[in-house]
Amino acid sequence: MTAPAFSLMSTIVGTVTLLVCFWPQTGLFWKWRRGLTSTRRVLMEDALKNLYDEEYNGITSTINGLSGALGINRNEAARLLVRLEEIRLVHAHAYGFQLTQDGRKEALRMIRIHRLWERYLADETGLEQTEWHKRAEKLEHSVTAQQVEALVAYTGNPTYDPHGDPIPTASGKLPPKKGKPLTDLEVNDVAKIIHIEDEPGAVFAQLVAEGLHPGLQIRLLEKAVRHLTFIAAGEEIKLAPVVAANVTVVVLPVEDQSLGPFETLASLDIDEVAEVLSISRNCRGQQRRRILDLGVIPGTVISVAMRSASGDPTAYNIRGATIALRKTQAELIRIHRIERAA
Amino acid sequence: MKAAEKIEQSILEEAAALRWDIGDNLHDTLLESIYQDASKIADRVVSTTAGKQHFNWERRLDALLTSRMFGFPLMLLMLTLVFWLTISGANVPSGLLANALIDRVHPWLKDLAAGAGLVWWLDGLFIDGIYLAAAWVISVMLPPMAIFFPLFTLLEDFGYLPRVAFNLDNLFRRSGAHGKQALSMAMGYGCNAAGVIAARIIDSPRERLIAIITNNFALCNGRWPTQILIASLFIGSLVPAAIGGIVSAAAVVAVTFLGIILTFVVSWALSRTVLKGEVSSFSLELPPYRPPRILQTLYTSLIDRTLFVLWRAVVFAVPAGALIWLLANIRLAGLSLAAHTIDFLNPFGLLVGLNGVILLAYIVAIPANEIVIPTILMLTVLSAKVTGVGEGAGVMFELTELDSYQRLFSAGGWTLLTAVNLMLFSLLHNPCSTTIYTIYKETGSVKWTLVASILPVVMGLGLCLLVAQIWQFLV
Amino acid sequence: MKERQSPECATCPAHNVANLEKLGVDMTSLDFVLALAGNPNTGKSTVFNALTGLRQHTGNWPGKTVTRAEGSFSYGGKRYKIVDLPGTYSLLSTSTDEEVARDFILFGQPDVTVIVVDVSRLERNLNLTLQVLEITDRAVVCLNLIDEAERHHLKIDERQLSRELGVPVVPTNARQGDGIQALLKAISEVASGSFVCKPHRIASGSKELMGAVQRLSNSLKAKFPGLHNVRWVALRLLEGDARIIDAVKTGELAKLGRNEFQQIEN
Repeated sequence: MTAPAFSLMSTIVGTVTLLVCFWPQTGLFWKWRRGLTSTRRVLMEDALKNLYDEEYNGITSTINGLSGALGINRNEAARLLVRLEEIRLVHAHAYGFQLTQDGRKEALRMIRIHRLWERYLADETGLEQTEWHKRAEKLEHSVTAQQVEALVAYTGNPTYDPHGDPIPTASGKLPPKKGKPLTDLEVNDVAKIIHIEDEPGAVFAQLVAEGLHPGLQIRLLEKAVRHLTFIAAGEEIKLAPVVAANVTVVVLPVEDQSLGPFETLASLDIDEVAEVLSISRNCRGQQRRRILDLGVIPGTVISVAMRSASGDPTAYNIRGATIALRKTQAELIRIHRIERAA
Repeated sequence: MKAAEKIEQSILEEAAALRWDIGDNLHDTLLESIYQDASKIADRVVSTTAGKQHFNWERRLDALLTSRMFGFPLMLLMLTLVFWLTISGANVPSGLLANALIDRVHPWLKDLAAGAGLVWWLDGLFIDGIYLAAAWVISVMLPPMAIFFPLFTLLEDFGYLPRVAFNLDNLFRRSGAHGKQALSMAMGYGCNAAGVIAARIIDSPRERLIAIITNNFALCNGRWPTQILIASLFIGSLVPAAIGGIVSAAAVVAVTFLGIILTFVVSWALSRTVLKGEVSSFSLELPPYRPPRILQTLYTSLIDRTLFVLWRAVVFAVPAGALIWLLANIRLAGLSLAAHTIDFLNPFGLLVGLNGVILLAYIVAIPANEIVIPTILMLTVLSAKVTGVGEGAGVMFELTELDSYQRLFSAGGWTLLTAVNLMLFSLLHNPCSTTIYTIYKETGSVKWTLVASILPVVMGLGLCLLVAQIWQFLV
Repeated sequence: MKERQSPECATCPAHNVANLEKLGVDMTSLDFVLALAGNPNTGKSTVFNALTGLRQHTGNWPGKTVTRAEGSFSYGGKRYKIVDLPGTYSLLSTSTDEEVARDFILFGQPDVTVIVVDVSRLERNLNLTLQVLEITDRAVVCLNLIDEAERHHLKIDERQLSRELGVPVVPTNARQGDGIQALLKAISEVASGSFVCKPHRIASGSKELMGAVQRLSNSLKAKFPGLHNVRWVALRLLEGDARIIDAVKTGELAKLGRNEFQQIEN
């Protein structure tokens, strides 16, 4: 047998190597797998989506815009557009590029698949918000028509993606664009977020971190050159205009307004009673359905029964039954305190 | 037919068009409507005849069982009591069963076979191989399970177990698991197959898979005897006899705790890697306390759990018994197949601080952990060519004196390292075939069954290798 | 148009033989098929055992009844088969348990669906009850755990509840076997058609939703005559339930309607 010191060393080195390769998320193996995309077809499909997006938002498409959006250099972008023009999906005009009828159809098909995937990832998996877009970007390029059908069936024919974007129908129909960017609001306007743009990822991550999501009501407090200040869910949030522009809102008529500050179920103490105001949109998919089925809906009166010996799940009296919810779940349920029970 | 299709198409299109108008929260609206009606109806038909019913014993009991001060001590007390009742209560019937099935019926069958003039290999294969394996599994497995499962079911029917899950959820949440996993784990201490089935109570797919895959880290009833025997032989004997019992018990407890720690570590890693994308949702209903019906519970838990698991175990033990006997009795170039395999496995076994006999025993004893020690004994006799011990090639046996175990093991070349690693490997190896089959039945997936089966062996071999390396470095 | 419960067919079963066989129910020598639905923790399995004399394990956890339990019994000279559906809080979510229960009630068309309800948690149990009553109009509500309610000083006016829901309501204490005879009687009355249910249909709801449901049900009624749960089908289509859309496409839904028609005409 070899020297003990040598074999001990090699075992340690081996273990460390394995850990470095397979450590959750940051391991080399996972990084390598993430980097394995970007073929030509993928680029073309992404280009079509981008062109459609700009058309939908009324922006003229240019080579510069495309190269920026896809993260490729100008030459590559130009070659890509030439190729798309050859197969008649795009045609060039004096100022830029436009989708042809076929190009638009193809673009809508891709967008449909992308948004369906996002919906699926949001509702049916336990992935983080910031992962949905990234994964959908990869998944959308490798599905057959049957798989799309299966996806539609599985997600229950959704009409909107989790960011609030409408999902094109199979025949490529989309409702007209609603709402305006947050930056167009006037001070003291109350508005509802209907969409949060998921690209670029860093901006989206910032918006998610601020707790913004479609369905949330906000009131604009201040509009300065460098930042916008508004109230959302009872908290004051400051955003740079570039960031805020990625949030689409609709102004609400007075009767629909219900701003915070909200208390959540998590803030209740034992024996305190409250009425449910609403369930945050951030509670979605199976989780949301389960909570609703248990009878947690606006108007339900809930009292706190007991807290776990380890402090976290708390049991609530909900319509006659005692149901334990975790703190992270209780934080998604907005309430209105009633009175302290005797 | 065409016209009909058109009608159907038009209905679907109308529905699709209307869906754009209602928006995305139909489910919310619908449930609100249903509950509105439900509460109207309930208001009209329910009346309370007395004041608030809140200050009753149920509330008091809940407050006590989930209190910061008493919640955990009471839980530990309860679990200790269940384990103590199981272990001490199972000793006598286990001994009686072993006495009857192995010491009486087995020789009687042998005599019968001899009287009938049965060929030696038929007699060996059926009576020494198949019958003995089945008898062994039954006598070791049946009594503890017949005590453990009803006790557990009583606690469950009373309503205490959901409170345990409630108290422990915080701990499990941190490693990405569900509080109810505490219960499937506890069930796993009785039998992993039953623990895997118990994971059904977890209704979130991700957490349920985690509970199934990590259940094997709970030392099952078939592995306790191995742990206790090896600990008292090798670790208890290192210290003065007066404290030997305590030290060896401490060693077993340490292995159990290692299992618990690994459960959390593996749960954490699984929920962040391979299981990241599975759906996760949490809800836990704490049902009202209901007085358990003792007789019915005894009956149903015996039928549903004990006999069910036992039957599966016997079915899997039968071919194992046959295989063990055949390996020990088929000879090739003057040596039995078992001896050949042991020679082949030995260098690798020694590298990881075990030996060829142990590895072979774990391979052929996949069906049931209960037969690992008897198989090891038989194989050691066979390969170390000890005379005067045992019953012959392919016949499993157990010894009555600790001394004779020690003599046999030192003849087989065992050291303290072998013992420590055997304890570790007994904790960390593939689940028995009953459990593997149950995992497949429960998950319906070959992939997860493979993960659950291979992951622990890899971890076990890795850990044994590491321990062996450090040992050789230090000693 | 003839009435659904025409007198000459007072005793003919309503179940859908073909679909039930597809769902794995052995249909030999049977008169009626019952489904047993209910929330978890309501003593559903106890009721099942009390009806059939079997001893299935009962417990406090959802998902206990994983392999579907079936049993049979005779009452008043008729043979009944009873299928224990998984305990669920609702029939609307997409979990497997709920789909199994929903599909059985919808496509199997059991002669009677027995809904087991925990009296002390009536409001929450009514959620499932009202959903079942949207799908089928042949149901019996079994108010179980009446002893527990008494301990909590709750009184239920079961005759009022029966009027509200439009189906028979029978208080039971299945653990002691109390009320099982009355339950059997109610089941046989609904099965044979001598009690005609007029199930409660959900009335509350937003204007938009109810408008959409109304419009879609009208079209459905015109196109699938004989289908008695149009409103529910309309709701499912509006929610985009893939299974129901499929049933529309393949004509399975049309057959359910026709099936009922034929029986009425016989």
